[in-house]
Amino acid sequence: MKFSLPRQALILVAFSLVPGIGQAIYLRDKISWRSPIPPSEMVSVDQARAWGDSNIWIDARPDDEFARDHVPGAISLNEDHWNELLPQFLATWSPGKKVVVYCSAQSCDLAREVAERLRKEAQLPDVFVLEGGWEAWLKKNR
Amino acid sequence: MKTYILTFTLSFIFCLTARAELKWEQTAVELHPMRGDKQAVGHFKYENVGKTPIHFKSVHASCGCTAAQSQKDQVGPGEKGEITATFNIGERTGTQVKTVTVETDEAANQRTVLTLKAIIPQELEISPTFVFWKQGDKPDPKTITIHAGKDFSVKHIKVTSSSPDFQTKVEETGEGQFKVDVHPNETSRLIASTLTIQSENSPKTFYATARITTAPTAPGVPAIQKAPGAPAAPTPAARPSAPTSQTR
Repeated sequence: MKFSLPRQALILVAFSLVPGIGQAIYLRDKISWRSPIPPSEMVSVDQARAWGDSNIWIDARPDDEFARDHVPGAISLNEDHWNELLPQFLATWSPGKKVVVYCSAQSCDLAREVAERLRKEAQLPDVFVLEGGWEAWLKKNR
Repeated sequence: MKTYILTFTLSFIFCLTARAELKWEQTAVELHPMRGDKQAVGHFKYENVGKTPIHFKSVHASCGCTAAQSQKDQVGPGEKGEITATFNIGERTGTQVKTVTVETDEAANQRTVLTLKAIIPQELEISPTFVFWKQGDKPDPKTITIHAGKDFSVKHIKVTSSSPDFQTKVEETGEGQFKVDVHPNETSRLIASTLTIQSENSPKTFYATARITTAPTAPGVPAIQKAPGAPAAPTPAARPSAPTSQTR
């Protein structure tokens, strides 16, 4: 019995998937699979800028990164000093304002976590995470 | 046919052994820091079970709140070691998941993601932590619900307002739950108060904020930032001049 070349290639590809699938099943509960942020909770740099004054920028990065540089007018609110910084942010918030939270890049979790706490704990509406974070803002503005 | 199967099996086994040089004892760690702990440290142990040395190219944490460190840059054959991930708890609550990405010069498995899960005990769950009235609203009371977190029991709580312009009333609703009614004396001025919440058997202090805000702005109309004479936001460090408190 002779196998044709495409059939052999197909068999090899199929077998090569076995360890991958096995690993995915075995490690299913061992790796943190983060659910992506729903698109309705994200905002692009252009859209956030278009909101103008009805928008509050929140910088969720650590204090030293905020001190180095940040979006003009942004307020620092991170989970290292949440209790101290939250009242300072709430003093600028008023009904109808949109809140845009960012951290360093698309891959960071800080903005998502701060946004989640503002929605759940402070029960604020209209809280968004900036797509691409500080890096995306820099690209559009510098 | 037999030759095909043998060739395939040999190449499959070769591939498996080649990629398994750096063997991790575990790639996910769950930590349960105690009340008051500032940090949670995870240890990820490994062993080079291959025949060639492995070099770490980078060890990178997903968040600035986590510092990841490798004991050495190179791991010889048969050598053991560990990556230490130190998570700074700060004022975070609940379940926190952070990752550390390790890159090596292994041919088959250059990138490994290590997961650190820290379950931070939450003594009190407060909902919401912010209540507000729009300027000119009726000063009706708003309710903050407080209940003891899992594995904690709370019999009494004390709520103190940093401003005498806000009144608080604490009521126990049973099974470690409390209802805090907050109301301003009047809503004509833009005022704010930090509510300090303490339970009798915990050194930790919790906070909520009560505030009179400006009315919502129509789209396109700039918001009024602050009325003249409006107070700056209180901070937890600020000491109330004439605190009003309610204990239950």
